[in-house]
This record gives sequence, structure tokens and C-alpha cells, in this order.
Amino acid sequence: MATEVILPKVDMDMESGLVSVWHVAAGSSVSKGDALFDIETDKAAMEIEAPASGILAHVIAPEGTKVPVGSAVAWIYAENETIPEAAPGEAAQATDVAAPPAAAPGATCTKVAEAAEPRPADTRPEQPSGSVETDEPRPRATPAARAAARTAGLDLARLVGSGPQGRIQSDDVAREIEARERPAPAVETPSRQPAPEAPAAPVSWTERPGALAVTRRKGQGSGAPVVLVHGFAADATGWAPMEKALGNAREIIRIDLACHGRSPLKRIESFAAFARLAVQAFDDLNLDGAHLVGHSLGGAVAMSIADIRPRAMRSLGLIAPAGLGPEIDGETLLGIARASRAESLAPWLKRLAADPEAISWDFAQAAMLSRMDEEMRAAQRDLADRLFPDGTQGFDLSAALGRVEVPLRVIWGKQDSILPWRHALRAPDHASLTLLDKVGHIPHIERPQACAKALGELFVIAEASSRG
Amino acid sequence: MAKDDNTPFAIRNYEAETLRKALRKMYLIRFFEEGAEDSYMRGLIHGTMHLSIGQEASAVASCLSLTDEDKITSTHRGHGHCIGKGAEVGRMFAEFFGKEEGYCHGRGGSMHIADVTKGNLGANGIVGGGIPIAVGAALTAKQLGTGAVTVCFFGDGANNEGAFHEALNMATVWQLPVVFVCENNKYGMSTSTERSTAVKNISERAAAYRMPGRTVDGNDFSAVAEAVSEAVDRARRGEGPSLVENLTYRWRGHSKSDRNRYRTKEEIDAWIARDPILRFRDELMAHGIIDVDAAEGIEAAARQEVEEGIAFAKGGTAPSVTEVTRYVHAEARP
Amino acid sequence: MNAPTRHPEVQSRELSYAEAIREAMGLALARDERVILMGEDIGVYGGAFQVTGDLVERFGPDRVRDTPISELGGAGVAVGAALTGLRPIFEFQFSDFATLAMEQIVNQAAKMRYMLGGEASVPVVFRMPSGSGTGAAAQHSQSFEAWFGHVPGLKVVQPSTPEDAKGLLLAALEDPDPVVIFEHKLLYKMKGHVPEGWYTTPIGKAAVRRTGRDLTIVASAIMVHRALAAAETLAAEGIDVEVIDLRSVRPIDRETIIASVRKTGRLICVYEGVRTLGVGAEISAMIAESDAFDYLDAPILRLGGAEAPIPYNPDLEKAAVPQTPDIETAARRLVRKEV
Repeated sequence: MATEVILPKVDMDMESGLVSVWHVAAGSSVSKGDALFDIETDKAAMEIEAPASGILAHVIAPEGTKVPVGSAVAWIYAENETIPEAAPGEAAQATDVAAPPAAAPGATCTKVAEAAEPRPADTRPEQPSGSVETDEPRPRATPAARAAARTAGLDLARLVGSGPQGRIQSDDVAREIEARERPAPAVETPSRQPAPEAPAAPVSWTERPGALAVTRRKGQGSGAPVVLVHGFAADATGWAPMEKALGNAREIIRIDLACHGRSPLKRIESFAAFARLAVQAFDDLNLDGAHLVGHSLGGAVAMSIADIRPRAMRSLGLIAPAGLGPEIDGETLLGIARASRAESLAPWLKRLAADPEAISWDFAQAAMLSRMDEEMRAAQRDLADRLFPDGTQGFDLSAALGRVEVPLRVIWGKQDSILPWRHALRAPDHASLTLLDKVGHIPHIERPQACAKALGELFVIAEASSRG
Repeated sequence: MAKDDNTPFAIRNYEAETLRKALRKMYLIRFFEEGAEDSYMRGLIHGTMHLSIGQEASAVASCLSLTDEDKITSTHRGHGHCIGKGAEVGRMFAEFFGKEEGYCHGRGGSMHIADVTKGNLGANGIVGGGIPIAVGAALTAKQLGTGAVTVCFFGDGANNEGAFHEALNMATVWQLPVVFVCENNKYGMSTSTERSTAVKNISERAAAYRMPGRTVDGNDFSAVAEAVSEAVDRARRGEGPSLVENLTYRWRGHSKSDRNRYRTKEEIDAWIARDPILRFRDELMAHGIIDVDAAEGIEAAARQEVEEGIAFAKGGTAPSVTEVTRYVHAEARP
Repeated sequence: MNAPTRHPEVQSRELSYAEAIREAMGLALARDERVILMGEDIGVYGGAFQVTGDLVERFGPDRVRDTPISELGGAGVAVGAALTGLRPIFEFQFSDFATLAMEQIVNQAAKMRYMLGGEASVPVVFRMPSGSGTGAAAQHSQSFEAWFGHVPGLKVVQPSTPEDAKGLLLAALEDPDPVVIFEHKLLYKMKGHVPEGWYTTPIGKAAVRRTGRDLTIVASAIMVHRALAAAETLAAEGIDVEVIDLRSVRPIDRETIIASVRKTGRLICVYEGVRTLGVGAEISAMIAESDAFDYLDAPILRLGGAEAPIPYNPDLEKAAVPQTPDIETAARRLVRKEV
């Protein structure tokens, strides 16, 4: 008898989930406990294990399909079992009033069959069928904001709030109403970009094929490798000072995020889509276990990877990670993304460090050299618009962080003016917290030794505990 | 005194008409409580009730020398005190039935019935709750010089409450016109005075408060009348409080939930044989205050009054549920 | 601003909170023979906090009556006296000791009118020195407003100024029902303008002590002064706070609080009683149920006493109840969207 594979509820207020990746192709055999598919919700990404051993068939929810919780996505048939033409649900639907076959899972399945029409593999997940669109959770908003939006006929779902966890407050609504009433300038949405000094001409850029770039430096010891994920508008080269401090005991692997460094430019619709590319790159490394370290936006990506690939994690190190609160200095991010020469880049870079003098002219020039690709900068601006609309972090990984079970260390500079260090307080109880005084948003550049020491301890603790 | 010394105190000191009215009140109490019990069993009354059948002499004789200006505080077993102090059974039944015509407009029920205009400051659901209140009423009388006396009814159970100690102490310290009447019916719910009280007689406690204490047969109308009225006179003269203990017995259980596991049938029957009403009736007949016909007439009139009272209550008005918060505070004066 | 109802000829001068209460009691004793004071050591001793002072010399020991150390009996005597025509003002040495008299206050005084279907009246006033800050530790420092505020039949007030201390006491005396007055011990020495003569501060009316646009703070007793001090500091930071002095816990002034929250969209309740199930819970729920709900632009915050008895050590004692900096921090967090 076929085992129904359902989309499980993995989050408390979850109503539906997106099937993002199938790890096993239809017709292939699978063992119980194998990674079968990945799901994404608003808050989490998770790897789902096969509930039984056998042959996977009738994958009615291909990648990119949004499915209600508890609905079937596929079936697993025993090795010697005959696989019928149609999925049990489809059979039930086809036979209509006729007696359903013994295996028919019933009404739930019928509903899925309706929702999960066959679609091409590259179907965009953001276009779910109509019947599941209503599953969107209500936006977080204060009563006053709701009342104001109601009066103005405004859809709160279109706003991003400035309050904690993206809560929409009345001034967010007021700003939106004001923005709607003001004629839109040619380039940027006014609510997002207060008076750009010299609005750059819109730059068009095209997507580039290929997977994310990964670079490796071999280590001499036997410890698990360290995987580094850089922040917004940075790239793998930014890790150099800290790598030096870490020494060469371990292999170091750096992932360039999409639209960054040597990785291809991609149109990114959401943080989930952005992180998925990094998960793919991590999967391709096929590591038995790794110490994952991310900085800023890379920290948020690292949390996503750790959440969905817990079995591959030895430890998680987060340096001033994004995704733990709404506040972010969006102005600086855009300033960096926009700068086309060292003169305009340097003042923004100085905001990253606690001591602006630490950002030398040489540093700015070197940074600009790696940012000469105008299309890349445009892609990063679009990315910033998606990920940090209105200067707010539009994604929240605190729940994902709460699920991390491996040793975890959060490092933050107390003078960080890009992301407030108090977001670190969202870390779960078992996390260790390293707060560095007189350090800004780039501790790994400002205090590479301190970061390396903190991370080195983490790696040792993690390997000791995994042996135990 | 008008009659010789062997004549009971009550016969010697009260008018025949007063004594006949007292007998009628005792019958009223008995029939009221029997009627209430019957109504309860018929489902006309909800909640519970504490019946004082068997204690009628204590209630009526203790109130014999009081005027409407004098006050009483009563207990959860208070129907007798209420009738003793002059309440009408019709309005009492109406209260039992939860009607607007009841003394408390249906808000109080059995445990709070009181005719305040007759000086009854209320039955009380809290054992010992009325004792300090009685002392307060006596303080008012002394402070304002009204000449009123307060009789404070309480049971043997209340004598072990802290309020008893605090209140009796203050009554003496301030020399207040209050008479503490303990109706010792031997049991606080199921626990006998032997098992709960350090002294044999509760009146012995009076010594600790430097006030006279006296124990009398609470089923002997005249004995109660004598002890309490002497104490009332003393209080009225400004000589302070007294404690009178009336030894009596409740024929029924503590309340309607009582399964009577702590008393023997023999004990109950022995007390029923000492029915205070029959004793008082026989005494009145023996001294020529009433004859058999008159006694039967008084009994029949009381029975009739109770039946009319029940009819009155049944015909009463239910309170409007929209007035659930009425009487929480004083109503705004126009 | 809810001005007290005054007689037109009244003058004003500075008195302490304790003096204002004493003046009210003196006026009442002089005006009405039915008024008596009762309590422990209120005669020649002058009261544990010197509130009754010299009244015994002016009115004699029968009308300013020392009671034995018998809180339950004493309170019950006051109830019985009130029930039969006197107008007693009963002083507890500490509000903590009222726990010994809960029976008489809660079962008897509060319910007598109702149980007797409106046929009886208990015009008694219970004065309760209350609150922490005196180093008297767990059994002499509690704040029981919410306890008594939970009892229908009682009225419960908390004056925060000398003027209200007098006006609310005289209003309580004029009230036909039992009134519990919580007097904060740390306020007894506080001076303020007090009108002369007889006037009453209406029970059930809050007072807007400071107007503001950004945030409403509803506070009671000494917390009013801490909220006002915080509001000064916050004003310098551009946070414009409205401070409402609750004055009456039961009945509570819905209109004033709702109107304020409708205006500011933010509410912090500050009270000394234990935070959980306290006065702030009631105010928060009241706002959530009211039409001010739609105007809320942030979560409601409560600052109340710690979930612990009041400790002895001075630093611990301060930490156990809201202090001015706590109010400032909460206000900043609320206005800056950190909560």
C-alpha cells in the first residue's frame, strides 16, 4: 500500500508551504529517513525526510508549488508494489461518484489535486494557484494602523512596517498615503529613497547563467571545513584578514552570494529565493559537516542554511547577522550599492566601522576596484530593494535561529550603526554572545583576531561535543 | 413582683397578651421553617437553609424585652431571630422564593433575611461575622445616647472565632450596651463543643472579658427570658455587656446537605421530647394564661399565617435580571 | 483637568498630605457629631504616622477612639456603628493589617446594602497607609488597591496630592457606602496647596496632571509624581507625555483614560501593586474593549510591582516597584518602536 507523503506543519502558525526542491526524482528509490524534499514557509525552510522506503511516484507538487499543510505532495510505493496510472487522489477525482479505490486518501487529496496542477519545472513559486492565495497570513499591524489603512482603502499587505518584527504602525500608513498622493519621480519610490543627490540613470542588467561561485583554501588539519558567507555588497575577498587570523588548520570555503563577487547576477524576488541559491551551492559542496560562518546578510543566509541542513552543521558563527529585527541602515546600503567611484564609496564605507579612520583611502579604492561592474551594482540595488524595502529588513530569521541546535556563537560590534547589536538578544539560550566594544558593523575587518579567536573556540567546542 | 416565687419569671413579669404573642411567634417559627423545608423539597426554593426547629424558645424569649429601637445581630440560623424581632412571614417567604416583595428584594435569601425597620441588622453567612457588628451598634447607642441595647446572637461554633474574642473584649473595655446570646446547640456543623471548645460552658469565657456569664436551659422559655432580660436591663443601665448561654438543640441537620453522621437517633429523640413550644404552652396553660382552646387557636392561626405567607410569596414578582447590580451602592439621590 | 468641586469662598495654602487629612477629619468631627475616628494609637500617640495628631485633644477620646490591637474586631465595630447611624473613619496602622480584617470589609461592609436589598447603609471610611519605600519590608509595605478594587460594594481611592487627600476623604465621608482610602506613606510629608474649608474631590474621577500628545501614562499615588518627573525628562527628548492621575480605582474613570488614549495611541500603566492581575491589567483590558482600541499604535505596557514580597535592602526595595528611570525607559522604548 502506498505511503502518502504530505506537506507537514513545521511552524506554529503555518498554513501552507512551498515545495522548493525535490532531492529524489519520481521513479527513483528512496529509503526511509532520506532527505526527500525541501519546503519553505514565510519563516522557515526545512528538509523533509522520506516517511517510508520504496519508489517515489506521483509527485503532484513539483518544485515551486505552494501546498496547504497536511496535503499530499507525492506517494511512495513499496518495491514490489504495482504503481497505478494515476495518483490515488486523481483516481478518486476521475472516478467521481464511483466507488473510490481502496488506497484513496480521500478529500484532502482531492483538494491537493485541484491545487497542484502540473506545471513546468521552472514555474515561479510566487504565482500560486488562486485557491491557495488566501493562505497569506494577516500582516502584523497596530489597531491604529489598521484603522488608518481601512479609512484610506489601503491594503496593509503591501506595506512593510517600521515597528518590531515589521509591525506596521500608523506612521507607516501615513507615509504610504503621502507617497501615493505625491507624484512619483522617475526613478525611485520616494518613500524608500529620500531625495537622492544625483539619481543615477536607470541601469538595465541581465541575468547571467550558472551556479554561485565557490572558492576554497585547503587546510592542514583534520577539522571540519569552515564555510564563509559574506554580507551585502561585499564578496569572498572581504574575509582575508580573518582568514589570516584563523590560520591554516582548517579548509576554508567561501561562497559568493548571488549578484556579488564572482557569482552570476540573478533576479531575486524574495529572501527565500536568495537563500535557496546559497543552499544549492552548499549542497553542491557535499560536505559531511561544516562550520558555517556568515556576516550581515550572509549571516541571515547562514541561518537559513543551518535551518534547512541541520545534519550538515557542526557549528554556526554569526557576525552581525541580518534577519533578527526590522532596523537596518538602508541608506548606507544603497549608498554603497550606488557608488560608482571611490570618492562616493568611501564616506559610506566609513559608516561600517566604529572608527571611520580605520577605512583608509586605499581600502576604499580596493573595494571600488571589485565593484566596477555597473550591472552588478544595479543588480545589488534591486536586491536591496527586495530584501530591505523602505530601509527595513523584510525577512525574519529569529524562528529559524531558535531551531538551531548546534553550538552557536553571535559576534557583534557594540557600535554597529548598520544593524543594532541588541538584535543579538534574539539568539536562543544556548548561544554564546561576543559583544565587541569600539567595533562597528565589520568586526571581521576591524578586529579579525578577536573574531578568529571567538570562532576558533566555537569550532573546538562543537567538535568536542559532536565527538561526545 | 406580682406573683409568688415559684411562678416562672416570664409569667411573673410579662402581660398575658405578651406571653400569648410569644407562643404565637414560636409556632410561627416552627411552621415557617417546616413550610420552608417543604417548599425546598418541592423545588420552590433553591440554595440551602439552616433550620432552627427546636430552638424557638431561645429566639423568642431573648427578644422579649426588646423594643423596635433595640438591635439584634443574627446568624445563618436566623429565621427564629427574625420572627422573634417582629418580621412578617409573608415577606420572609417572599425572600426565600427570591421575590422583589422579600425583605431583601430577593438579593439575600435565607442567610440574609432581616427586617431592618424592626432593629434586625441581619442574619449573617459568616460564623462570628455579626459579633463585632453588634458591638458597633452598641457603640452607636452609647455614643449618641439613644438608650438602645443590642442583642448579639451567635452559636457555639462562633465562640472559637477570633472575632468573638476581639469583640467581647472591646465591649467591656468600652462598657457598651450589648448582650451576647450564645445559642449552644452542641454542634458546630458536625463538631461537638466537647471536641472544639476548651471550656465546658461557653459562659465561662465571660470571666476573661470581665462580664457576667450565665448558662440556662435554652428550651425553657422563662429561663431564657429571665437571663436575657436581666442582661438587657443591665446594659440599659450603662453597666456594660453580659454573656448568656442558652443550651438548646436543633432537631434538623446543620443544613440541607447534612447526613447526620455525628448524632444518634436517641440523642435527637431525647431533645425532641423537650420541645420548647410544648413546654411553654403547657406552662401557660398551667398558670391559666391560656386554655386548650386558646392554645389550639394560637397554633391554628400561626399555621394559617404561614400558609398565607407561602401563597403571598408564590404570587410575588421576580426581580428583573437587568437589575443585577441594583443595591450595590446607594441609588443616586434625586 | 477635573477641578474639585469647591465652595466659592475657599482659600488655598500649603499643607502636607498628612496635615490635609487631619484637617479634613477635624472639619468632619466639628461638623457632624456622628463622625468618630477609630484605630490603633490614634489618640495621644497621634497615629503611627502622626495623621490624627492632636485631634484627640480637640475632640476627646470618645470621638477619637483608640482601639485595642484588634483589626478584625475594630473594623467590625466600625461597620456595626456605620450600620446604625455613626460615620466612623477607621484607621489601619498599615494597609497590610487590613488582611486581618478582610472578613468585615469584604464580607460585611461591602455587601451589607446588597444582601439586605438596599435596606441598609454602611457609610464607613477605611484609611490605609500603604506602599513601600520606608524600609519596613514585606509585611508593612504592600499595595492592596487591586484587592479591594475587586470587590463590588466598595469604593477605592488613592490620593496623590494633599489637596486630593483632603477632598477625597471628605467625599468619602459624604458617601453613603464604604470607601477605602489608600494613603501612600511616602506622600505624608509632601506639601502642596490645599484649599481651606469643606470641599470634596469627586470619587471616580481621574485628573489629567499633564497633557501630552505622544503617550498616555496612567499612574496612581506616588507613581503620579514619578510619572511627572519622567515626563519632564522625556519632554527634553521630544517625547510629549500625558500623565493621568487615576485617583479612584473603583469606580474607574473610563472616559478620561479612553479619551487620552484615543489622542495619544500609546498607554503605559504605572502602579505600585504587584504587576500581575493588578490595576494596570484592568486599565489595559478596558482600553482593549473600548473604542480607543482602534487608536492604539503600540502595545500597552504595564509597570507594576515585582512578583515578590517587598524586600528590606534599600536597593532591592527600590527595584521591587517602578522608579522614575523605569518609566522613562519604558516610554522611550514604546515611542521608538522598540516594543
